[in-house]
Amino acid sequence: MDEQPVMVFKDVVKVYPLPSGDVTALDGVCFKVDRGEFISIMGPSGSGKSTLLNLMGCLDTPTSGDIYISGTRTVDMSDKELTELRRDRIGFIFQYFNLFPLLNIIENVTFPMMLKSQKAVDPEKARAMLRSVQLEDSLFTHTPTEVSGGQQQRVAIARALINDPDILLLDEPTGNLDSKTGAGIMELMSELNRKGTTIIMVTHDLNIAAYSKRTIRIADGRIVE
Amino acid sequence: MIFWEIAKRNIRIHILRSTLAMLGIVIGVIAIASMGILGNSLVLTVSDSLKTVGDSVIVTPHAGGTMRGFGGGTGGPSSLSITEQDFEQIKRASAPNIAIPVLQTSDRMKLGVGSDEIVATIYGLNPEDVPDLLKLKEGGYSRGNSGVLVGSTFAKDNNVKVGSRIAIGTEGNKGTLRVTGIIEERGMAFDVSTDSAIVVTKDWFDQSYNRNDYDKVVVKVKNLDDLPAVKSAIENQMNKRDKVVDVVDTRKTMETIFSAFGQITTFVSAIGGISMLVAGVSILNIMMMSVTERIKEIGIMRSIGAQRKEVMSMFLYEALILGVVGSLIGGFMSLLGGYVISSVMLQSTKYLFVPSSMIHIIYGMSFGIVISLICGIYPAWRAANLNPIDALRHE
Repeated sequence: MDEQPVMVFKDVVKVYPLPSGDVTALDGVCFKVDRGEFISIMGPSGSGKSTLLNLMGCLDTPTSGDIYISGTRTVDMSDKELTELRRDRIGFIFQYFNLFPLLNIIENVTFPMMLKSQKAVDPEKARAMLRSVQLEDSLFTHTPTEVSGGQQQRVAIARALINDPDILLLDEPTGNLDSKTGAGIMELMSELNRKGTTIIMVTHDLNIAAYSKRTIRIADGRIVE
Repeated sequence: MIFWEIAKRNIRIHILRSTLAMLGIVIGVIAIASMGILGNSLVLTVSDSLKTVGDSVIVTPHAGGTMRGFGGGTGGPSSLSITEQDFEQIKRASAPNIAIPVLQTSDRMKLGVGSDEIVATIYGLNPEDVPDLLKLKEGGYSRGNSGVLVGSTFAKDNNVKVGSRIAIGTEGNKGTLRVTGIIEERGMAFDVSTDSAIVVTKDWFDQSYNRNDYDKVVVKVKNLDDLPAVKSAIENQMNKRDKVVDVVDTRKTMETIFSAFGQITTFVSAIGGISMLVAGVSILNIMMMSVTERIKEIGIMRSIGAQRKEVMSMFLYEALILGVVGSLIGGFMSLLGGYVISSVMLQSTKYLFVPSSMIHIIYGMSFGIVISLICGIYPAWRAANLNPIDALRHE
């Protein structure tokens, strides 16, 4: 069994140079995430949650410190390597679903597969994935705007999972859903976590955070508990 | 590939603005191709008119030279002409090619009882030289001094047929000749322009106009590669001390004419090219709009693993589709445009479907596609180099 942490942050500092003076968004952040964890990251606005999520998703690089994803040091990676890392090992789920309006649901889910394989792919895996997030077959050929918000988020989850990532990063996944639909989505996330998916979720909502097994609180760029 | 599909769909959902961008390319291709076709048709028309004389060296008395014993000739005794002795030297210098002496004048003539007198050019040629210089479309070559050949336009305009009689001179004082043949159309010519003229025998000409010298000598060169050598040989022979003759290599002259037409064609095509540049700016504008509208989409793509080059390809595909579709439509419309312009300006469309005209459609289409791609590069590069975080935050 692989006991290596899925993610490790070591003394990570992120400073944004601004004309009015440098802003330290993260200041010496250290933590690790083991395989199979379900973590919530909470904190007030401006505390550094989004910066942390961007660094975890390899969308940004730290000013100093080290970040390891599945044992791979990401700090010195090129843009191409970071993009491949995002494609192969990280799944993103956004508050506003962020599906591609020009593609139908099946195409949205197969999109990351095509990025990985660089050729046309068998949509059967995408169909199975959509069924696993409880989306009806009749919706598969619809465009995202033709289905409800909850259904769109399920499509986004299927898209995030299609390349079998090591980590699922969630940014306020229920922030744009009503409470009942949001609860349904979180039940689904819990189910995925029970099956072994590692989940890191940024949220303001304590009720949503309650679905996670561990909470990292952040304030003024530092982890406070 | 999915990025190709996305590019296609994006064009489809913005069909109006895509069509407008393509319209610019269509107009640009039409402008370039139609102007090219017109220019080429013009060259071919002239080329067709001159092709029968492209194998000749024309020797004429030097207009600004010393008289050196020249006398008599066209129009009167003071005109310059080439003597029999000069002709013999030219003949030797140009051997083994055929040197044909030509006499030329203009006179009144009457084509039948009751008809009006007209004035036309009269050429005098040795009967044995005529088949080397002229082809007949009807009748036969004159054998005796009483026969005359007429040009095709002359025959048509004056309703002259083989067997018709032509009275030459005022009140026919030079005599009456019978038409034995009608000469094939020759168009513009450097040697003899017979379309609106008549051709009599040298003997009849000498007797009727009291001539014993020539107005020009036409040397028909068998091997076209020998043209410059024949020209030089004649010049060396005749212009040893003074310049007494002008020697013109007709192929060289034609090349100069074609070169001038080529430059005109290039110039008018370049004017068409300006409209293509305007179309390119339109493509650039539309592509920039497309990038701006899709910044968030680009951010999502980048966040889930699309490489910069893949994002770039998506926008280049879009520019390519606009360019290819616009160019194809433009290419087709160019045929119609070329047809109309050729019909109106040249009264002929026979040169429209020849390869040298069609190539201008290929040029126009290629230019349209290349301009579209070039104008798509900057927006595509900009899209590919967006910061994924900024792009994701974009509303």
